[in-house]
Amino acid sequence: MSSPPQTTVAAVAYHPRVVTIWESFCEYFRDEGCPTDYVLYSSYERLAQAVLEQTADIGWNTNTAFVALDRKLGEETRILGMRDLDAKFATVIVTRHGEAFDTPSQLAGRRLALGSRDSGHAAILPLYYLREQGLDARSACPLLRFDTDLGKHGDTGDSELRVVRAVAEGAADAGALADATWARFRSEGLAATGGLEVAWRSPTYYHCNFTALSSFDDERAARWQACLLAMSYDDPRMRPAMTLEGVRRWLIGDRSGYASLFAALEQERPTV
Amino acid sequence: MKPRRLDAERLELGGGLEVLLQATLAGLRVGELVDVAVASRAAALELPGWAQLNGHEVVDRRPRGRSGQIVRLRRGPGERVLAQVPVAERSAPPLRRDGEFHTADLRGPADPPETMPREAGFVPVGATAEQGAPAFDWRLHERVAIWAPEVAHLGEQASASQWDASRDVPWEAARGLPEHLERAVAQVMTFIAQNEYAALYVPAGFLPQMHPSYVELVMWLSSHVYDEARHVEVFTKRSLIGGYRGYALASTELSLHSLLAEHDFTAASLLLNVLGEGTFLDLLRFVHRHAPDAATAAAARLAHRDERRHVHFGISHVRHALSDDPRQRATLVRAAEQRAAKLTEMSLSPLLIEGLTIMAAGSLVPAALSEGADAVRALMRRMERNRIRRLRSAGFDANEARYISDLHTPNLM
Repeated sequence: MSSPPQTTVAAVAYHPRVVTIWESFCEYFRDEGCPTDYVLYSSYERLAQAVLEQTADIGWNTNTAFVALDRKLGEETRILGMRDLDAKFATVIVTRHGEAFDTPSQLAGRRLALGSRDSGHAAILPLYYLREQGLDARSACPLLRFDTDLGKHGDTGDSELRVVRAVAEGAADAGALADATWARFRSEGLAATGGLEVAWRSPTYYHCNFTALSSFDDERAARWQACLLAMSYDDPRMRPAMTLEGVRRWLIGDRSGYASLFAALEQERPTV
Repeated sequence: MKPRRLDAERLELGGGLEVLLQATLAGLRVGELVDVAVASRAAALELPGWAQLNGHEVVDRRPRGRSGQIVRLRRGPGERVLAQVPVAERSAPPLRRDGEFHTADLRGPADPPETMPREAGFVPVGATAEQGAPAFDWRLHERVAIWAPEVAHLGEQASASQWDASRDVPWEAARGLPEHLERAVAQVMTFIAQNEYAALYVPAGFLPQMHPSYVELVMWLSSHVYDEARHVEVFTKRSLIGGYRGYALASTELSLHSLLAEHDFTAASLLLNVLGEGTFLDLLRFVHRHAPDAATAAAARLAHRDERRHVHFGISHVRHALSDDPRQRATLVRAAEQRAAKLTEMSLSPLLIEGLTIMAAGSLVPAALSEGADAVRALMRRMERNRIRRLRSAGFDANEARYISDLHTPNLM
C-alpha cells in the first residue's frame, strides 16, 4: 500500500517560534496519517507566489495576503481553516486617558498612528472602517505610519508596539492596533499602555486562513482539514504550539468575514 | 440560568481586572454567563479582545448609569492548566510542637514513592504537574537506590550547623609557627583539602541525576556539596596562612581519580561516605587533638562535625540497600575490589606520615618524634578498627568487613 501523499504548507517566518510551531504541527499531522511538511518564506508575497506556482499546496495567509491572492485568481481560492481568533478579529484605536472620542469624526485633525501599511488590522482596516463611519483619515488626519515589518503584514507585532509608544509619548494622538494585541500588551503590563485607553473598536472581521488553489485535490483537502479541525487544545502535546500560534480551536472558515478587506483594497489599492 | 453579576468598579485591564475575571471565570461552568459591571466605555471596549485571547466570549455590552457599562461574558471551554490529577483537597502537613516545620514532615504521614517516572520534571512535593512539559530522564528514580531512612533528619542537621570558614576560625592563631612545624601542617592541610575536592565532586555528580521528587535527597546532596566546599575552603586557607606550601600528591590524585570513576550511587556511597569520610573522621580527630594552633584545631573540629553526618548517611543508605536486596553485597564488594585494582600505592605517602608525626610530636626533638610516631601508628590501627566497625554497622558480616577494609585505599579517601 502506498503512503498518502505529503501536503506542503507555506508559512511566513515572522519569528523563530514559527519553526517550533510547524515542527509540532507537522509531527501531529504525520501521527494522524496526513503527512505534512512546511516551507517558510520571508514575506507573504513570496508565500503567495509559492502557492500560485504550486511549490506549496496550502498557504497560511494573513487576511491581506489571502485577499490579494484571491483577487489575483478571480476569487477562485479555497479556505481550509482558520483559528477561532481569526473569526472575531477587531481593531481598536487607543488615545491618552481623557482624550477619547465619541465618534470617529472627532478624530479629524488629530495625529493617527498606524502599523505597517500592509497590515490589515493595524493600517488598512482601521482606515476603511473610519471612513465607513464618516472620517476619511487619509485626508483628515496627519498619519504616522510605522512600516517596520513590511511583507509580514503586521505579524511581528513590532509596528503595533511602536503605535502604542507613539501615543503614550505624545508623538501621536491616537493609534490603531489589533484588540487582541492591545489585550495582550495590557495583561503583560506593558508600561506604555498605562496612561492610555480604548476609544473605539471596529466591527469584527476575519484574519488569517489556510488557503489552497481550487485545483488542490478535494480528497486531500478534506483529509487535511479534518486533521486540522481535530487538533485539540486539551492535548498536552499540542497545547504549547497552539498557544504559540494563538489558537484554541480550529474552524472551517469561510469568506464572509473578508468582505470589508476586499472593499478596502478595492478602494485604497495599497502596495501589497 | 441567570448570569452571575460581578462589579469590577473602576478596574481595567492590566490593573487587576484580568485577575478578578480569571478568579470569577474559574468558578463557572463552560457556557455560564457573567455580567461584568465596569466604570467606563474604555474598560468595556477592551474586554472582547481579552476574552478572545483567553478562550471566552463577550456576548453583549450595554450602558449602565451615566458612564458605566455592563459586559456579558460567556465562559469558554477548556482548563487553563492541563493536569491529570486535580489539586487535592486542602490538607497541610503537621508542625512540631515548637512551631518548626521539619523536612521529615513534608509528606505528612506518606512515605516517598518507591519509584518515580523518569521523565517527570521539577515538580515540588504535593504539586500537580501540568501536562505538556518536556521530558527529563533522571537516572536515579528509584527510592531504594538512593534512600536512607534518616536523610530528612540529616539534611535538617546540615542546615542548622552551617559555619563560616572566613570568620569562625581564629586565623591569627596560625601565624608564626616554627618552620618545620608549619611545613608539616601545610602538607597535611594540603592533603586534606585535596581529598575534600573529591568529597565535593562525588555528590555533586549525582545531584543532576537525582529525581527532583526525592527532594529530601536533593537537599541532602546539596548540603553535602556545600559542606565540602567549606572544607576545601578552610583547609586551603589553613595551608596558606602560615606562609609555606604543601604538595598535591600524585598518589592522592590516583586514589581520588578512581573514586570519581564509580558511577553507582550505593557503591560511591560505600567508598566515599563509609570508607573515605569514615576514615577521615579519625584523621580529623587526630589533627584536632595534635593541632599546634587554634586555627588548625577549629578547622578540624568544624569539618569533623560535618563529616559525621556524611558518614551517618552512608552507613544508613548502604544498610538500607543491603536489607532490601542482599545481592547488593556482591556488587559492593566488587566495587571495592575494582577500585583497589587501580591503586598502585602500598601505603600512605611518607610525606603525610612524616607531617602527621611532626604535628603529633610538636618538634623535631627525638623523644617527641618517637611519641609522635607512636601516635600515628595508633591512628592507623584506630582507622582500621573503626572502618571495620562502620562496615559492620552498614550490614556486612565480619569477614566481608575485614576484606573490604583491607581493600580500602592507603590514601585514606
